[in-house]
Amino acid sequence: MDVSQYLDIFLDEAGEHLQSLSDQIMILEQEPENEDTINEIFRAAHSLKGMAGTMGYKNMQNLTHDMENVFSEVRNGNIKIKSDMIDVLFQCLDALEAYTNNIRESSDEGSETNENLIKALNDILNGGSAGSDEGSAEAKPKEEKKAPEAAAASGDEPWKHIKLGDTETTVLGEALKQGKTPYGLTVKVQESCILKAARAFLVFKAVEELGEVIISDPSTQDIEDEKFEFEFSLITISDKPLDQIISAASAVSEIESVTGGVLDLDNTEIESEEDEEEAAPTAEASESTEAPAEAPKTNAPAPASAAPAKADKKPVGKPVVNRTVRVDIEKLDVLMNLVSELIIAKNSLVAASGSTEDRINSAITDQVEYLESVTTSLHESVMKVRMVPIESVVSKFPRMIRDLSKKLGKKMELYMSGEDTELDRTVVDEIGDPLMHLLRNSADHGLESAEIRKERGKPEVGSIFLDAYQEGNNVIIEVRDDGNGIDTEAVKAKAIERGVITPEQGDNMSEKEIIDLLFNAGFSTAKVVSDVSGRGVGLDVVKSKIESLSGEVEVKSRLGEGSTWTIRLPLTLAIIQALMVTVGGEKYAISLGSIQTIENISRSSIKLVENKEVIHLRGTVIPLIDLHDVLDAPRLDEEDPEHIIVVIVKKGDKLAGLVVDELIGQQEVVIKSLGKYINRCKVISGATILGDGEVALILDANVLI
Amino acid sequence: MDELSTVRTSIQYIVVKLGEERFGINISYVDNIVRMQRMTRVPEVAPYIKGVINLRGEVVPVMSTRIKMGLEPDVETNATRIIILKFEQQGFIGFIVDAVNEVVTLDTESIEKVADQKQDGAFVQGVGKTNDGLISILDLNALINEQV
Repeated sequence: MDVSQYLDIFLDEAGEHLQSLSDQIMILEQEPENEDTINEIFRAAHSLKGMAGTMGYKNMQNLTHDMENVFSEVRNGNIKIKSDMIDVLFQCLDALEAYTNNIRESSDEGSETNENLIKALNDILNGGSAGSDEGSAEAKPKEEKKAPEAAAASGDEPWKHIKLGDTETTVLGEALKQGKTPYGLTVKVQESCILKAARAFLVFKAVEELGEVIISDPSTQDIEDEKFEFEFSLITISDKPLDQIISAASAVSEIESVTGGVLDLDNTEIESEEDEEEAAPTAEASESTEAPAEAPKTNAPAPASAAPAKADKKPVGKPVVNRTVRVDIEKLDVLMNLVSELIIAKNSLVAASGSTEDRINSAITDQVEYLESVTTSLHESVMKVRMVPIESVVSKFPRMIRDLSKKLGKKMELYMSGEDTELDRTVVDEIGDPLMHLLRNSADHGLESAEIRKERGKPEVGSIFLDAYQEGNNVIIEVRDDGNGIDTEAVKAKAIERGVITPEQGDNMSEKEIIDLLFNAGFSTAKVVSDVSGRGVGLDVVKSKIESLSGEVEVKSRLGEGSTWTIRLPLTLAIIQALMVTVGGEKYAISLGSIQTIENISRSSIKLVENKEVIHLRGTVIPLIDLHDVLDAPRLDEEDPEHIIVVIVKKGDKLAGLVVDELIGQQEVVIKSLGKYINRCKVISGATILGDGEVALILDANVLI
Repeated sequence: MDELSTVRTSIQYIVVKLGEERFGINISYVDNIVRMQRMTRVPEVAPYIKGVINLRGEVVPVMSTRIKMGLEPDVETNATRIIILKFEQQGFIGFIVDAVNEVVTLDTESIEKVADQKQDGAFVQGVGKTNDGLISILDLNALINEQV
């Protein structure tokens, strides 16, 4: 048995506990008296300590141990929560996170002992109340007392039910001759324990240092596989006294109790042939007597097999039972690729069945249609499998805003909604940094200081909102603040000063164009460069990151009222619904997500504004973009002299009309990269393979607008 | 003798024709040779990129070796082929050639380095001698290099 196999679980669980600690401490700061929160923190710190101990991470264990002590005192009402204490706790969290990061990278926690933090924690402990030390000292012996007490009260111990086979009896006989004593032990693991198998392993290790384990119930294999409730029994032979073995076993953390006694060989169920039938019911009986006590919820009929009930492995405190499987993202990528291939094959079938005119083929057409709907659902399911809630990314933001608030000396509050909005895993992994940047931006540049806010008649505490929601095939994430908004004049002045634009250009720019300047590389409006934001790398990085995810960023701002940053991301990156069009005899795909409407426009209604062709459609003026020009495609001779077909595409609020020759129809297309060799072409975001094997290019309408 | 033969290395080349000249392409780069097929033009790219084709479900760019090397544009015939090469960095790239002749094995010794790399021999690494005449060994990295 090797602890390293638990490393992944450990890291995951540690991450969860740290997050929960962070959340709860945030709550605690607001409501210092909230008992639920204090208990929750205590529990999380305790679990962390136990887990770190199990894995042998001593520094981490020490730190969490002291945190636990502090909370134990808080829980007992001996210490009151104070602001500086919260700060220390957050520093502890940072340190713990550093440990887990080290462990993730090198499976070693590193040598940092964080003594200053431990000292700070101890100061809190000592400063809290004089009686606190006694309190914790008292608690300790009580726990230790429990074990012998329980041992004394041993009436019907489970270890007495261990069935001994021939080999075991022989070994026991031998041991007796050598003057060793056989002991039976029953170990109860705490119900909140997460790595039960690892605990059991440590108990075994501790016992084996003192003697030899003969047999266990359940078997070592089952214990390794966590196939036991919270209790297991074993028989050991040793020349050491029983007390020593029991205390060694109970020294393992998260072990609730260890009971044991000297094994009386005569009274033990020795498994021989005639006994076998009797033994089986006994085991069953003991199981059923345990069942109501241990897990009253599990009323599944206890199977006659020797394997203990496997139900309800989840630790308490997480009542919602999630049945999940961990899958390597690469395996999902392979699956996704196969689905893509399937869709291409399906498209060829659709094309082939469409070309035949035989009536006999209607059966095939039916089946092809069926296949079409199945592949579409298959694609959706695979996509959903890859989706994860953005919660994993945004959950660290409240803490970040709190720190920023202290650092910047501004009062602010973060309100989040839609944390359960789901996005493709690869997108979620990438979105954290851009969001963080936008939030920092709002905190640093957006929100005014409390005095100015007061002057302007705003509430002293600034608000930052982070809202996520799904809209059609896109996920929208909005970062909003009620701060100062963007001062376009300041931006313009800065841009001219930096040489990004000339003064003449600046005079002709619309407000929107000026705001877009913020996304220019090397642009920062912060008058003083702070370490929060304003190093001049930022918004342009945000923009390129979002664009690399096929998304887009937009800003709306009102001077004095605040700004809204909108990030729009596609749900999936691999397969899209697209409109197929022809331009100059060539086929192109336009993502349906960006298409607003399709219009048949008479040529006479095209107007010229500033020498650009526009159309007037239902009260909006829409610029026309002739795809023949953009794509350098040949013009057909037999162009309709009366009308043109215009595909109206939108990007945020902006609209544009793309002039095409012909519409082919809607199709599900698999996006293929054009490869690294051809990357100069901005308007083409990729290619797809059509049903007949031909390659069609995918137009990126966002670039055109 | 034995020692000598271990030092001497030989490389296999696919011999292709561009006009009347014979060129050798290191076979270790060659993934596939396909017939000329319908190509999808890609806008806004260099003139020697003729477009992209569908190669077993992958989209592969194809370049005109002739235009890249400053020769007359291709005239498609029955013998015209696309040689698909695989590069570590750029992935698959197809090269249009007039014809594919044969595979030859050349000793590194029998290849003479071209002295002046600046001239129109910019895409030729060296010249190999066979019984049938001379073969110009193509410098594939120079061919896919954007700068030239």
